[in-house]
Amino acid sequence: MSAVWATARAAVRRRKLQTFVIGLVALFCTATVVVSLALLDAMSAPFDRAFAQQRGPHAVAAYDPAKVTDAQLTAARDGVAAVAGPFAQATVEGTGTDGPMFQGPLALTGRADPGGEVDRLDLWRGRWVSAPGEIVLAAIPEDETSFRLGPMSEVRTVTADGVPLTVVGWAYSVSATADGWVTPEQAVALKPSAVQMLYRFTGDVSTREAVQQRLTGVATGLPGGALLAAQPYHVVKEEAAETAGVYLPFLGTFGILGLLVAVIIVGNVVSGAVISGFRHIGVLKSLGFTPRQVVAVYLTMVTVPASAGAVLGTALGVAGANPLLNETFQGMGYGQDTGVQPWVWVAGLLGVPALVLLAALLPALRAHRLSAAAAISAGSAPRRGRGLRVQRALGGTRLPRSVSLGLGLPFARPGRTALTLASLLLGVTTVTFTAGLTDSLLEVSRIDAEAGGDVGVRPERFEGPNRDRTSSTRTDQEVEALLRSTPGAAKVGASRGRTVPALGQSEPVHVNFIRGDTAAMGYQKQLLEGRWLDGADEVVASAELLNKRGLKVGDTLTLEIAEVRTTVTIVGETVQGLPGPGAGLFASWRDLGEGDPFEFYYQVELAEGADLEGYMAAVRAADPGLTVWDNSDTTDVAVVVTGFSTVLAVLLAMVAALGVLNTVALNVQDRRRDLGMLKSIGMTPRQVIAMLITSMAALGVIGGLIGIPFGMAAHRLVVPLAAEAAKVTFPDYVMEIWDPVTLLLMVVSGVLIAIVGALLPARSAARLSIARVLHNE
Amino acid sequence: MTTETVVRLDEVRKEYGETAALDGVSLTIRRGEAVAVMGPSGCGKSTLLNMIAGLDRPTAGEVHVHGERLDLMNETKLALFRRHHLGMIFQFFNLLDDLSALDNVALAAQLTGSSAATARRRALELFDELGIAGRRDVYPAALSGGERQRVAVARALMNRPALLLADEPTGALDSKAGEQVMDLLIDLNQIGQTLLIVTHDERLAHRCASRLVELADGRIARESTLDRV
Ligand SMILES: Nc1ncnc2c1ncn2[C@@H]1O[C@H](COP(=O)(O)OP(=O)(O)OP(=O)(O)O)[C@@H](O)[C@H]1O
Ligand SMILES: [Mg+2]
Repeated sequence: MSAVWATARAAVRRRKLQTFVIGLVALFCTATVVVSLALLDAMSAPFDRAFAQQRGPHAVAAYDPAKVTDAQLTAARDGVAAVAGPFAQATVEGTGTDGPMFQGPLALTGRADPGGEVDRLDLWRGRWVSAPGEIVLAAIPEDETSFRLGPMSEVRTVTADGVPLTVVGWAYSVSATADGWVTPEQAVALKPSAVQMLYRFTGDVSTREAVQQRLTGVATGLPGGALLAAQPYHVVKEEAAETAGVYLPFLGTFGILGLLVAVIIVGNVVSGAVISGFRHIGVLKSLGFTPRQVVAVYLTMVTVPASAGAVLGTALGVAGANPLLNETFQGMGYGQDTGVQPWVWVAGLLGVPALVLLAALLPALRAHRLSAAAAISAGSAPRRGRGLRVQRALGGTRLPRSVSLGLGLPFARPGRTALTLASLLLGVTTVTFTAGLTDSLLEVSRIDAEAGGDVGVRPERFEGPNRDRTSSTRTDQEVEALLRSTPGAAKVGASRGRTVPALGQSEPVHVNFIRGDTAAMGYQKQLLEGRWLDGADEVVASAELLNKRGLKVGDTLTLEIAEVRTTVTIVGETVQGLPGPGAGLFASWRDLGEGDPFEFYYQVELAEGADLEGYMAAVRAADPGLTVWDNSDTTDVAVVVTGFSTVLAVLLAMVAALGVLNTVALNVQDRRRDLGMLKSIGMTPRQVIAMLITSMAALGVIGGLIGIPFGMAAHRLVVPLAAEAAKVTFPDYVMEIWDPVTLLLMVVSGVLIAIVGALLPARSAARLSIARVLHNE
Repeated sequence: MTTETVVRLDEVRKEYGETAALDGVSLTIRRGEAVAVMGPSGCGKSTLLNMIAGLDRPTAGEVHVHGERLDLMNETKLALFRRHHLGMIFQFFNLLDDLSALDNVALAAQLTGSSAATARRRALELFDELGIAGRRDVYPAALSGGERQRVAVARALMNRPALLLADEPTGALDSKAGEQVMDLLIDLNQIGQTLLIVTHDERLAHRCASRLVELADGRIARESTLDRV
């Protein structure tokens, strides 16, 4: 073994370029893999981790207090590993006055403490309830700034069935066991309709059916009909997985591209090493290296730099992924624990070296088979002939000689040229795909941002004791005028939302009567079908509403608006509705008389460059009775995906450039003698560089031309997949982002990758001393 | 005078596609002999040498070297055989560019299981004997042709081979360096080293060899004993 190691170590040390290229390819590929895997893991695993951390219940069960006593429930522990409860659970009507949150039906649970054996809540703000009249509300954790600026900070009291409850804290349960928690005494006072039990079971809980069986086991000792409802944890888990579904198509694409590039380049690098090492192999064999030992030498030669690259690449990937992950996923409630997981480290450290080994195996086996006699003679007499005809044809053209020689080079080694072309092609595919993705997402978030406006405003009614603010006394006209006259406003839209009965529909429909610039704030532009409304008998519906109700453009609805029957026609479908109780219709403004101030909602789009904080402060100062919030943030998905894809695309483009670098280095190595000869007859260093760069730039153009359609196809395939997972419909123009200039830029990107890769070895070839070359031949 | 046979070829034939590089060659080399093989370019000299070195396999016929049938061995056995019993030198030296002169030579001993330190020690002895001790840490690219060939000879001698094979050992050297290599080969033969030298150079053949085999078109055209000059 020592002879093998001595030979391989010497090769690693002395073949600096080869070692460097393999190491760097491994480094970038590993970094790509680690970043992708870390993101994938962050998207899917945190639920499991948070669930384990909070000791989430396998089943959330609601029992009928009329049929079963707390003592009976406590005693029924068949197959139960741990239990929380019994907790009295009341379903109340929230009619708070502090903004739109926590309105409508709320499930409140009486719980003395947030810890316990099951469903350990993350009490992320304030304190736990200690007396009746207090409530802790359920919400995903937010950091101090987002909390202060968001609508949650406005919620100080929740009125539950007319009983005012003071908000003393905020807590989060991954299992969503309640909308809010009160003391057990308070829960009893709210006339609870159910008793909640939270179970963790022993034995199999992998499927819904298995959990159902465990529940049946528990219920056997209880009076019949006591169990009202039960929800296995799979329901929340699947909801969490939906978010991951948005990212999977993107990451899958990058993962596949990354792996392909890695295999192609490593294969090219290693087979290049073997081919240019024919004489080396012959010598080893003539000395008495067995075929196995020769393979071992070659595998060691590539594995050493690949492993070093993998270690650095893992570190780089983790360093790059961590801040992105922390920044992004805190908002999803798993913020406590989103670091890169050990298995990702392991995959990075072992995966790429394993891949390199696999890619090296094929050419190494060729070295295994190579006859020693042939290898030695191949080394001393380089093969010629191939590409000669092309070279002669090019020589007849009027191109400068260095350019025509350069164009002929790729034909001398068709296999190597094909692999280089493939890596350039994949590089351009990646760049094209990423450019398309970024453009589409920017378009989506522009629509989103436009539609939401920059600032949301709602009048409040502040009542009762210990209120520090007074209700607004302005009419809706006056509020709109105020918003328009506050400096910085570009567009102001007003709307009044009402849920009204619709004839023939089982559920009432929410209608937003709009005025001012609302339509012009993106909703009209986002039409998927039909046209915008024009007149009192026309409405536009959001895609979500149409999907839910099975309606389509052209249908009519008979609504009862302010006790008057009105028939309206749906004339258009738009991407999204106004914020609020979702999925609403847009209708033109009409006088509905007096109403709840919450019905009114205003959104403001600021002029380019206007100061958002300043505008919000000015409005708050002018009328403290208005709640004002920042609505300008772009969607998380867009930020994450564009950020990650840019990083990954840059990494992959660099890997492709390295592939080119390797090819040029190998070509120079093979053609040392020709280069020496060309220089000896008067080719200048500049011409040598021109020749070698031309050879690769030509491939860059071809790779670009073929890679672009691939990238466009990937874009066309992947973006809709993600949209489907996100359950949104995009207008067509989101996909139509290609224009001749962008496409030209993509071709240029291919040429650029080729030139960047070729530059370094071309320069060192230009500096090659003729004397040295001739001395060694 | 010993009569132990080191090489015996029986009707060896080697075809490359249509052409027969060797066309029924029978040859015996005894221990202590120095045999020169001559002939016009392309007559099959290197092919003959490759057969004896086990670098290539005959199409037909038997190749016996040091009591073993090389034509029946698999690649691995051939490699093990080569490392223990054969030394080779080539026209273009075929040193490993990645290793220093000394490590090139030491590698041959490491292959037979010596530790790196032991191998280096033995290599140094040879460097001293061949007068290249001063060049031990230089890499092949920086050595002159004569120096490279002496390093190659040292490497070939490392494992005290039963047979030393040389394919045009002076072909790439100027006359002075060529002389030095010739002297080296004569000295080696005189202390008992069996030699097979392929060459174009009559002087080399006549100075170093005790027997001359002339090849033409893959056949032995003439065999003669030489009086060394
Ligand atoms: N690997 C090979 N593949 C095909 N033909 C070969 C191969 N090796 C040798 N030959 C052919 O076999 C014949 C003998 O070649 P060989 O190299 O043995 O000649 P040689 O006597 O050593 O010539 P030179 O004096 O030029 O070295 C030649 O015609 C040659 O073309
Ligand atoms: Mg020859």
